[in-house]
Amino acid sequence: MESVQTKKMMKTLLALIPVESPLYSFHPVSRLLLFVITGFIPLFINMPELNFMFAVVVLLLFIYSKVALSSLKMYLPVILCAGIFTFLTFIFFPGKDPDYKVIGHVFGLALYDQPIMNAFIAYSKILALLLSSIFYFSTNRERDILAALRTLKMPFVASYVLGLSLRSAGMFLEDLHTVREAEQARGLDYAAMKFTDKVKLYSMYIIPLISLALRRSDEISNALFVKGYSLKSSGKRADYILTKYRFSASDVATCVVLILLLVLIVYFKYRYQWFGSDHSLFQYVIK
Amino acid sequence: MTNVIEVKDMHFAYRDGTEALKGIDLNINSGEFIALIGQNGAGKTTFAKTLNGLLKPSQGYVKCGGIDTNQKRVIKKLVREVGYVFQNPDHQLFNNEVGKEIAYAPKNIGLSDEEIEERVNEAAAVAGIKQDYLSMHPFFLPKGLRQRVSIASILALRPKVIIVDEPTTGQDYRQSVEIMEFLKKLNEERGHTIIIITHEMDIVAQFAKRVVVLCQGKLLLDGATKEVFAQPKILEAAYVKVPEATRMAQALTANGVSKDVLSADELWIQFQEAIGR
Amino acid sequence: MGKIIEINHLTWQYTDTEKPALVDVNLDIEDNMFIGVCGPNESGKTTLVSCIKGLIPHNFIGSYTGEVRLFGKNIRDLRAKELAEYVGFVFADPEAQFTSMSVEEELAFGMENIGLGSDEIRERIDWVAKITNLENLLDKSPYDLSGGQKQRVAIASVLAMQPKIVILDEPTSMLDPMGKDSVFNICARMKEELNMTIIMVEHTMDRLARLSDRLILVHNGKIERYAEPEHFFENVDELVEMGLNPPASIVFLDQLKRAGLYEGPMTTSVEETIEIAQSICARKESVQ
Repeated sequence: MESVQTKKMMKTLLALIPVESPLYSFHPVSRLLLFVITGFIPLFINMPELNFMFAVVVLLLFIYSKVALSSLKMYLPVILCAGIFTFLTFIFFPGKDPDYKVIGHVFGLALYDQPIMNAFIAYSKILALLLSSIFYFSTNRERDILAALRTLKMPFVASYVLGLSLRSAGMFLEDLHTVREAEQARGLDYAAMKFTDKVKLYSMYIIPLISLALRRSDEISNALFVKGYSLKSSGKRADYILTKYRFSASDVATCVVLILLLVLIVYFKYRYQWFGSDHSLFQYVIK
Repeated sequence: MTNVIEVKDMHFAYRDGTEALKGIDLNINSGEFIALIGQNGAGKTTFAKTLNGLLKPSQGYVKCGGIDTNQKRVIKKLVREVGYVFQNPDHQLFNNEVGKEIAYAPKNIGLSDEEIEERVNEAAAVAGIKQDYLSMHPFFLPKGLRQRVSIASILALRPKVIIVDEPTTGQDYRQSVEIMEFLKKLNEERGHTIIIITHEMDIVAQFAKRVVVLCQGKLLLDGATKEVFAQPKILEAAYVKVPEATRMAQALTANGVSKDVLSADELWIQFQEAIGR
Repeated sequence: MGKIIEINHLTWQYTDTEKPALVDVNLDIEDNMFIGVCGPNESGKTTLVSCIKGLIPHNFIGSYTGEVRLFGKNIRDLRAKELAEYVGFVFADPEAQFTSMSVEEELAFGMENIGLGSDEIRERIDWVAKITNLENLLDKSPYDLSGGQKQRVAIASVLAMQPKIVILDEPTSMLDPMGKDSVFNICARMKEELNMTIIMVEHTMDRLARLSDRLILVHNGKIERYAEPEHFFENVDELVEMGLNPPASIVFLDQLKRAGLYEGPMTTSVEETIEIAQSICARKESVQ
């Protein structure tokens, strides 16, 4: 459908991304690095408050990049579920340690201080990683992801296969949507179904989806042949799309800062044992 | 004639805010044969999907056999009123046997085993699917037959209205006429109301009795096929071209040819009369 | 104008069918022609053009006798890359042939395959986007395109490789009338302005008949007719018997001929037919 009105967000396979964003002036590699480093730094930090601050920084990045925060709503269930699972795990399976102190009771279960602290630490890490992944997929098109990987010298064939699978995943999702509508047209009422029936239902999708995929894979193999592509003749080839991206001074600066940040955090953590949970504010809260 | 579908000031907006339908009023009576035409993006498929509750209006209402589609838990009732056949058979065949495929919908609405069996046999017979095929896997049937299975699987619900999305796409002329003759039989002999979505104006001229033209989410024209095709200027706005025979007849009206000709044969009869043979 | 495609005694059978799809086909096609291919479904149209592109025998399994020559070279000796330089191919389903994540990549992909450099690719993308009216869509992903736009991308990606021959297999069967018109217009320009040879398979005969220099009728794996449109439509009955739908203007003209009211050549133009009909009416009036 050709729509005339200007939209602020557009669809990619995995998420909605802003049509325009200041982040787009950065090279895909810088953006990938931003994701990897903001996502992984919290893994070295055991102070939940720092990680939560990190999450706030990522949220600020969302605003800077003009991602509609309303699109985050979609991920809320995942974010909440991850939290509930983490805490339940540490409450029900606290492990045993003579140093544990009981700080309260829930449903007759004793709550210990250290496991609760660990739950906070684990969840703060998960939260930061989740947010930065959502951020990455909300600001990068599939082609940016592939361009980043190819700049980092991923072989062409591998990146192309990855692209093709993303493409077919996209078609797969569109198909799934139509198949579900077709089922509804045959009198299936999802709202009235039991959970076990829904699970059984998913196995039924396999038939139409596989038959569609089979018919399509033939077509795609023909389409590749027609464009002169064969796996065997892997000579030197130009990579036109990469020439569309420039690695600017601000990219260099961003990358240097990000890498420096990571190195510093790792250095201080292992050299001086910084960022440990002992000094966390949460310790006082729990006690 | 009883009213089977009533559409009142109906709007529909997709989740991203694009308004696909902008206030449509339409009444459909039992026994009609309607063609829904217009450009891609005009809202044909979206409109058709609101007619059996697959999509729910964001404003106004659609009533099928008196049931408002905006009510909750009405799917099982709605599918008995309006059946929807999707364009690609591969999207709507989920079972590993043709027989089970046809039985799928009656089972969903909770009919008894005897009733289901009766309906499967009836639907298969009407759609011209031989008993031997009932145990075969739909995947291995030729496309024309897969399409018949998809229609049969809707017929088993005995809906009053059957909507078929682009029944002739990718078929040659003979196959197109075959499938349309089949829909005509359902309409004339079994009293189903038929709605087709299509781009093939020759097919529309030959089979539809009423034409509904959509343009940018609004109803542009609605009337008997001859009346609609008699207005080529308005149709141009929707990028719809009248059939070639109609176009020629319209150029020959000064010579005494009637302008509501729909086929080459009619054109020839009219022309002979005009020149006094 | 020399022969650029020669097919000699070609017989082909897919492994999973009982009958051969093509039986002893002979065909010569000359440079800078617009060839329309029609015939009922399953008659062998797609198989025929797949043989000209080399998809058969390179990408299919079956038994192959006879030969197909492109510019004098046997198609069996040509590799995918060379074939891409000679012949472009557009499929019916705009969805399935889109293999990249953006229009621009889709256009670049084929050119990268035939070994062009980045600068050349950039120039050609600009050129081809202009011809096919895709300038504002280069950045779009396949999910943001309509069927007609996707099909224009498919044509553009083929055009960018600047092949001598472009084959289109039912390129408009899934498009609406506006999409159909845009595809036919581009093809006409490719023949006129770029001197390409166009081979187009289509069900609907009206648009095709009007653009083609010659029409091929395929039936039961054989070429039944290969002629200019005027001669092609000399026997309308047989076409109807095969289940085809000749344009209404031609059926009308055929009836005029049989009634002894018209003796000139078969024209595919609706306007000319209307003029013929009007002059017949005028003649009748003056007689009365």
